Amino acid sequence: MPRPLPTLHARHVPLAEPAAQRATLHALGLPRRFEDHLASAGLAPLRPSRIEVLQVNVGRVCNQTCRHCHVDAGPDRREQMSRETMQHCLDALAKSDIPTVDITGGAPEMNPHFRWFVTEVRALGRHVMDRCNLTILETPSHRDLPRFFAEHRVEVVCSLPHYMASQTDRQRGDGVFEDSVRALQRLNAEGYGDGASGLRLVLVANPVGAFTIADQKGMESEFRRVLKARYGVSFDALYCLANMPIARYLEWLVESNNLRAYLDALVQAFNPAAAAGAMCRNTLSVGWDGALYDCDFNQMLDMPVASTAPRHIRDFDLASLTARSIETDLHCYGCTAGAGSSCGGATT
Amino acid sequence: MAAYFDDADLAHFGELEKHHPELWNLWLKYYGQAFEEGLLTKREKILIGFAVALTEKCPYCIHSYTSQAQAAGLTMEHLAEAGHATASLRAGVTLAHALVAHNLDKKTGM
Repeated sequence: MPRPLPTLHARHVPLAEPAAQRATLHALGLPRRFEDHLASAGLAPLRPSRIEVLQVNVGRVCNQTCRHCHVDAGPDRREQMSRETMQHCLDALAKSDIPTVDITGGAPEMNPHFRWFVTEVRALGRHVMDRCNLTILETPSHRDLPRFFAEHRVEVVCSLPHYMASQTDRQRGDGVFEDSVRALQRLNAEGYGDGASGLRLVLVANPVGAFTIADQKGMESEFRRVLKARYGVSFDALYCLANMPIARYLEWLVESNNLRAYLDALVQAFNPAAAAGAMCRNTLSVGWDGALYDCDFNQMLDMPVASTAPRHIRDFDLASLTARSIETDLHCYGCTAGAGSSCGGATT
Repeated sequence: MAAYFDDADLAHFGELEKHHPELWNLWLKYYGQAFEEGLLTKREKILIGFAVALTEKCPYCIHSYTSQAQAAGLTMEHLAEAGHATASLRAGVTLAHALVAHNLDKKTGM
């Protein structure tokens, strides 16, 4: 298994604190505030359209410590969503028609209540997506998960930054690519990614460096060609996500002296259409402790939903949450550059 | 004396337009359309651009096409393959020019 690197949290470095991360971005003195860009696009203040996805971050524990992780997840983290908080999520779903639950982490499968939660959400008739790092499926206590996913018709959304081992391992740790391919082959063996079973397998690629991906369609066809030819792996779709200047990716940008150029490029590539389609407009994010956020990135920066809305899942109220305005800051440029970036890939 | 090649130059490449806007814009349109996806994919055209940038030894173009390659998901391994293909063809071109000597020697030699 890959050798994990220490998290910011374990190293007790200043950038472990969300306030320090936001201050680092503000210290750049970028020429324009994100809110001004929104205003000139006629989108200020940004508001939700319809909440279609409840994204539940069930904890920050992970078996990996990827260099680009905006959660600063890792084996040393202890934050895990309790079964009681998961029940609040289920109660919220029961009194709404939110069709999709997107389970993320950390490695969400490491939460001891993960399987119970998936089963209960499915019993409510909602679609479940699991954001999987793949290598967790190769650990002894999780090897049966591909079968569990198939039985519960869970959509599996897996991280694989590149079809080349060198690129993937550089971002996610030594040996990750090899384990990831084995996990993908076992998911394929359950019927995932065959295009006929309805078991949807999505790959997520984050750039391995200080740049964004401009051509999701071209990347997808290359991934499809190479993974099939070399490893016999098939999948349904590839999403290209931008790396967010938060937590460990922010640290890397600072240390590699790429922060300014990366942010300048994101600002310059602001696309009103991408802003209009930003995932925060149709997603509600729940933290491990039940706190509510506009997205997983705001969650990691300690930016809760506007105070006009309930701030905990136990107080869920669809009407006031839909009427809220969305909290934004400089990191939001990561979702609005070029073709846009979201948990569902490009937004334009 | 300032350096001839500065990596900040690319940002104001467009200033050249003012010296002859008509021809500049004709070229820009031609360049833009030639690099649009057609029978060849965007990635293939980026690699052609990279190969030309190497043979023309243009630092600006090498910078630009490396960035474009990264944004298209191409890695240094891809660019190394492209570089070797380019370099080997250049070597072949050099050898092919020896045919002039070969032909002359065939004609005039005893």
